[in-house]
Amino acid sequence: MATTASDPTKHFFQPIIVCLTVASVALTLFVIWISLHDLSLMRAGREKFVGLDNYLRFFGDPRAMAALWRTVLFTALATIIEIALGLAVVLFLDRDFAMKRLVRTLLLVPIIMTPVVVGLTWRFLFDPATGMANYLLSLAGIAQVDWLGSPRIALFAVLIADIWQWTPFVILLVMAALESAPTDPLNAARVDGAREWQVTWYVLLPMLRRALAIVALIRAIDSIKAFDLFYIMTRGGPALSTETLNYYGYIVAFTNFDISYALAIAVILTIFTNVALLTMYSVLFPKAGER
Amino acid sequence: MGRRAIFYVGLLMLLLAVLFPLYWVVVTSFKTTRDAFAIPPVWLFSPTLDNYRTVFANRGFLSAFANSFIISILSSALAVAIGSIAAYGLAQQPGDLRRSKEKFILSLRIAPALLFVIPMYYLATRIGALNQHWLLIAAYAFVNVPFAISLLITFFDDIPKELRDAARVDGAREFSVFWHVYLPAARGGIVATLILCVLFTWNEFFVALVLTGRATQTLPVSITSFLTFQGIQWGALTAAATLIMLPMIVLGVLVQGQIVRGMTLGSVKG
Repeated sequence: MATTASDPTKHFFQPIIVCLTVASVALTLFVIWISLHDLSLMRAGREKFVGLDNYLRFFGDPRAMAALWRTVLFTALATIIEIALGLAVVLFLDRDFAMKRLVRTLLLVPIIMTPVVVGLTWRFLFDPATGMANYLLSLAGIAQVDWLGSPRIALFAVLIADIWQWTPFVILLVMAALESAPTDPLNAARVDGAREWQVTWYVLLPMLRRALAIVALIRAIDSIKAFDLFYIMTRGGPALSTETLNYYGYIVAFTNFDISYALAIAVILTIFTNVALLTMYSVLFPKAGER
Repeated sequence: MGRRAIFYVGLLMLLLAVLFPLYWVVVTSFKTTRDAFAIPPVWLFSPTLDNYRTVFANRGFLSAFANSFIISILSSALAVAIGSIAAYGLAQQPGDLRRSKEKFILSLRIAPALLFVIPMYYLATRIGALNQHWLLIAAYAFVNVPFAISLLITFFDDIPKELRDAARVDGAREFSVFWHVYLPAARGGIVATLILCVLFTWNEFFVALVLTGRATQTLPVSITSFLTFQGIQWGALTAAATLIMLPMIVLGVLVQGQIVRGMTLGSVKG
C-alpha cells in the first residue's frame, strides 16, 4: 500500500492517540504540580509550593520504607512461586488425557473470579476459630495458626490467596505456548538418546522461555500494584505488617487526605515499577548474542 | 497402570485445590448460621435460601447491581467502539510507526491506578461529580481503551490483508472497508474484547472504591458493607459473593479461548 502523507488510515488512530497523549501529559503535569505543593483535601485552596519536600520526606519515612521493602518481598515471592508452580503443573499435565479441555476451563475460574470475592473467600477459610485452614491443620494434628492476626504470618496468608488466584493464569498461558511449540526437536533429542529430564531441561524449557518471560513480567507488574486482597483480607494490618507501598499511598490519600505526599508516593511507585520492569526485561530478553 | 493412577490422583488434587475455595463459599451461602460455623464442618445439610433473602432485602446491594451493570456495559461499549477504530488504523501502519504507538499504549497500562485516581478524585470533589455515573463510565473507558486497542489489533492482524486490498481495488472508501469488511470478519474478536472489558470493569475494586459515592457504588465496593464492626455476616456475605461472581464465570467460560490472549494482549495466542 502506498503510504503517502494523506493515508486515510492515519485518521483512524491519530485523534485517539492525540487524546491519550494530551490526557496523559496533562495528568503527569498535574500530578507533578500537586506533588511539589502541600495540597491537602482538608484545607484545599491554601496550598503552597514546597519543592521536593514530599519526595525527601518519603526517604525519611520509616513506614514508607518498610512498605517499599514489603512490596519488593511480596512481588518477588508471588512471581517466583507462581511461575515455578505453574511450570511444574504444566509439565505434569503435558500428556493426553480425558477431559483435558474441561480441566482447562476449570482452571479459568480463579482468574475470572472477582478479586474482592477471592479475598473474602480466603478470609473465610483463614478464620482462626471456624475456618477450613485451621480445621485441616487440626486433622493433621498441627497447632492452630492465627493466619491473618499474626504480624509474622499475615503477609504469607495474603500471598497464598494471590498464588491461588494467579497460578492458573501462568498454567494456561504456558500451556498455550507449549501446545504451539514444535514437537520435532523433542523427538529428535529423544532419538539421539537424551533422557526425559534432559529433553525437558535442554529442549523444552528454552522453547518456553519467551512465554515464561512474558508471564513473569505480567505477574510482577500486577503484584507490585496488588491492592484488593490486602484491603479485604488485612487492611494493611495487623500492626502494618501487610502494608504495601500502593496500600500506604491509598491510606495517605484517603485516610490522611494528604494528597500531595500520596502522589509523591505514587510517582515513586511508578518509577520503581519501571526500573524493575526494565531490569527484568533486559534479563529475560537479552540482546542478540546468547539466546 | 501405576503411573496412570498417580497421574489421576495428582490431577484430582490439583482440581481440588483450585475449586475447593469456590465450592466452599457457594455451599456456605446455602447454610444456616449454625451449619456454616460448625466444627467439624458439615458436608451434608438441608439447604436454606435465607441468606439470599437477606441480600435481596438489602436495597444497597440491588442498586449496586444496577450500577455495576450500567457502568460496565457502557464503559466497555465505549472503549470497544473507540478502540476498534484506532486499532484498524494502527493495524494498517508500517512496522516502526505502529510499534512506537503500541509501546505508548502499553506504557499507559503500567502506571499504578493511584497515579490517576487521586487527581480525578480531587477534580471530582471540586466539580461535585463524585456521585455521578458518568465519572465512573469515563474513568473505566479511559482504562479500557488502551486495552481494547492492543487486543483488537491482534484480531485485525488475523484478517488477511488481501481482503482489504480487494475492497480498495473495488473502490471502497477506507471507512467502508473498516465497517463492511473488518468489523464483520473480526466479529468474534470484538465480542471477546467487549466481554473481557465488562469482566474487568465488573471485578474492578480500587478505582470504584475511590470514585464511587453512595448513589454509584458498584458491587465489589458494596459487598464490603457486610464487613461491619459488629462482626462479619458470613451467610449474607457468601450469598452476595456468589451473586457477584457467577455472571462473570459464565461470561468467562464463554470467551475462554480468548482470556489468556486478552490478558497477555495477544503476545501469546491461546
